[in-house]
Amino acid sequence: MITIEDLTVSYGAVQALRNVSFVAETGRITAVLGANGAGKTTLLRTISGLKEPKNGSIRMGELSLVNKRTENIARLGIGHVPEGRGVIGEFTVEENLRLGAMMAKVNLRQGLDEQYAQFPVLGERRKQHAAKLSGGERQMLAMARALIAKPSVLLLDEPSLGLAPLVTAQLMHTIRSLCETSDLTVILVEQNASSALRIAHHAVVLHVGKSVANDTAENVAADENLRQYYLGLVE
Amino acid sequence: MNLAWTRQRLPIAIGAAVVATVLSFVSAATTKEGVALSIAFDVAIACLTALTQVGFKANHPVVARAALTLLGLDVAIFITFFLGSSANFNLATGAAMSIVLLGLSFLTGASGQISLGNGAFMGVGAFVMAIWANHHATTPIFVTLLIAVVCGAVVGLLLGLPATRLRGPYLAGMTLAFAVAFIFILSSFSSWTGGDSGLQLPTQATAPRWLLGLFHAGTAPLTTTTLYLTDVAIVVAGVAFFFMANLFASRVGRSMRLIRDNDVAAELVGISLPRARVVAFIVSSAYAALGGALFTLINNAVSPSTYSFALSVTILSLIVIGGIGTISGALIGGIIYAFSANVITWITTQTGLNPQGNLASQLNGIIFGGLLILTMLFAPHGIAGAVRHLWQRVRSRSLG
Amino acid sequence: MDPFLTSRIVSDILTGLTNGVIFGMVALSLVLIWRSTGILNFAQGAMPMFATYVGFALLSYHWGYWPCVVACVIAGLLLGGLTERLLVRGLYGKPEINPIVVMVGFLIVLEAVAASIWSSTPRSLPSPFSSFDWHLGGKPLSLSPFTVYEIATALIVMAAVAALFRFTKLGLQLRASALAPEVSRLLGVRVGRLLTLGWMLATVVGVITTILVSGGFFSGLTPQVMDGIFAYGFIAAAIGGLESPVGAIVAGVVLGIVNQFVDDFVNQNAVIIIALVILIVSLMIRPSGVFAKSVQRRV
Repeated sequence: MITIEDLTVSYGAVQALRNVSFVAETGRITAVLGANGAGKTTLLRTISGLKEPKNGSIRMGELSLVNKRTENIARLGIGHVPEGRGVIGEFTVEENLRLGAMMAKVNLRQGLDEQYAQFPVLGERRKQHAAKLSGGERQMLAMARALIAKPSVLLLDEPSLGLAPLVTAQLMHTIRSLCETSDLTVILVEQNASSALRIAHHAVVLHVGKSVANDTAENVAADENLRQYYLGLVE
Repeated sequence: MNLAWTRQRLPIAIGAAVVATVLSFVSAATTKEGVALSIAFDVAIACLTALTQVGFKANHPVVARAALTLLGLDVAIFITFFLGSSANFNLATGAAMSIVLLGLSFLTGASGQISLGNGAFMGVGAFVMAIWANHHATTPIFVTLLIAVVCGAVVGLLLGLPATRLRGPYLAGMTLAFAVAFIFILSSFSSWTGGDSGLQLPTQATAPRWLLGLFHAGTAPLTTTTLYLTDVAIVVAGVAFFFMANLFASRVGRSMRLIRDNDVAAELVGISLPRARVVAFIVSSAYAALGGALFTLINNAVSPSTYSFALSVTILSLIVIGGIGTISGALIGGIIYAFSANVITWITTQTGLNPQGNLASQLNGIIFGGLLILTMLFAPHGIAGAVRHLWQRVRSRSLG
Repeated sequence: MDPFLTSRIVSDILTGLTNGVIFGMVALSLVLIWRSTGILNFAQGAMPMFATYVGFALLSYHWGYWPCVVACVIAGLLLGGLTERLLVRGLYGKPEINPIVVMVGFLIVLEAVAASIWSSTPRSLPSPFSSFDWHLGGKPLSLSPFTVYEIATALIVMAAVAALFRFTKLGLQLRASALAPEVSRLLGVRVGRLLTLGWMLATVVGVITTILVSGGFFSGLTPQVMDGIFAYGFIAAAIGGLESPVGAIVAGVVLGIVNQFVDDFVNQNAVIIIALVILIVSLMIRPSGVFAKSVQRRV
């Protein structure tokens, strides 16, 4: 479970997040929606320790994550698939996965087998350089790499970016089933609000750094007024 | 040019006029026939400086800079008349070095390129000076200096052309290789360069007769070669500084700074990157050659061991400490160089170190290297930059 | 062909190879540090030199050659680690000129301090292998037990480094830290520690190089012993491409052999001049796109 309380993050004079608060429950998918520049990526980066917040608290269970090093936060079991996937092109598929498994006390062979079972395409291309994969395959690789470490929290930054609708739908389905089977806490940042809302349990809508909605996914989806925020129709 | 601005500048102008007047009176006291000339010259400069600083600084910056240079030269030359031989010698060396530093300051600061080879470019100028003087003893000094500068520029072009495509580390390494190779290049042409022992100038450079004629016959000071050479060095340095100041402020200088800060933007604006880089390289090597030629003049001889990689490193250290990309930094570095030997000797005696011992002989390296590291880590803009920072903070505090 | 010429050529190749593997190791260290931290370590010769002095200072306490070598390696690890932590940490992401100037300053300080503590007179190190050439049919072979020791050690070191990077977990992490530091941190990789380790490794490779260079009967340890070798090592790294460890080694070996031929068939002065020309020519030929811009490293 991730608890965000009164989080304020600034880049110099610009406030990227202002007094944002919400709870991401264990075993649930919390969607974070909003237009470009709403602060969604900043939120995930701050949770992962890549950015220091000015104010507020981030807790995993009872443990505070603020002022911790990124690598240590990752080792606590927080998997982060960054914007653009962060797949290392010069490595092979298998090397990418090995890297992901490194910090966790998992059996490498077992972990690899599990991920290849979950994502057969990766198994087929395991010796290929990651740079040669398609967008959808890279997304799978990035997720497998995060999952191989058996995280308890999964932060996903715009996983559907650049993917065809069919692939996106499959991806979302995968995320939902993983969440249910592994009791993951998932925070899903998405511009593609409709697909996100379809699988999410809870939703937060950000607008220019402030939270304008923090409710169940059904309620957020039903609320016509909110649509303008995450469709980017408001200044 | 509003009234407030003029009022601010007025005290400076008046001060300059007063100083110049005092100077002219004192100089009159020490010379006889030259009195009228001396007074007229000094007062004229004072007035010119006063006028230009107050009235024309904004509209005719070149004239203002020229006047400031003249005033500076006037003061400097005046001082040299009262210094002993050894102090003058140091001053001359410092002046020559400051020219070299100007070149490197421009290269690094204004265009963002690195060179570890300016000691070798100095050597080019130094040897050209010596070789030419040995073969054509009658050429006037200033012409020979010019020839040395041109040669330095040519070598700079040769090395600069491949350098244009190189990023920092590669350029640094290439110039390092050149600096290391230089001594061997000299050895290869030892019939020209005099081998290990180097060359001597055929005749000691002395003040030309027309200059002596302006002053009281037999005035001891000017007939001393050291004094004359020191004054020559100072004048040349003044001219070099004048040109550099104008270059910094000109369109060429500004486009170079743009390249340094954002080369993509510069290319979009239509600045030719390779061409600007080569130009900067040529300027830096020409300046270094000029400094080297002056070195030869001052020492009346040139020796290959002077122009080693260690010299290139010293040059780099001095400009880093003085302030990269600034003109005042070159001046500061030159002064440090002029008196560093004295300072180190002083330190040795103060701390009671054995002057023949290992530590004492390495003190130069330890201090310079240490200063280089500390400056780059904590004050990357050198003394000049630190002073400017301080000045800005004082200003903002008094305004705010 | 003239038998004297053949043996001369063979002799030059062997000597060149011996020198070349040394250049290759220096080039390899430079590439290691460049790839992992984006810094060109101008003190790559001076740091190991200092560590070697420290290690062999133990000779006066009647330590033998091999224990001293171990001491040198430990000193190298410490020096490399401390340098990264204290000196280099603050330089990541700064303008290119800053680390270059700092490392050049460090080079000067190290050489000056070494000279002030131990003086500049060459120190001979006890050699475990004879430096006298074997003879074949009455003629010297340009190969002695010591040169075999040099070549073998160099090859072992290079192979070990290659194996480390290719086959071990540590190597994977080191490569990842260099290629994608932020992503690596998100995967729990302790990038900071790995950078320190990278420097320690490069320094140790340098220490082994210095011991080989100064350990022969005809050579000695001086504060400046690695200067020329650094220059050639850099040239090799630049020609081979600062991004490529294999290129660095190959270029080093080739450079060593070329140098030897120039030294033998032209004259001693021409060696560095020709090397400089080769450097300039190769830098001009390679399309500028091959040299990647130095990447900002934020730890």
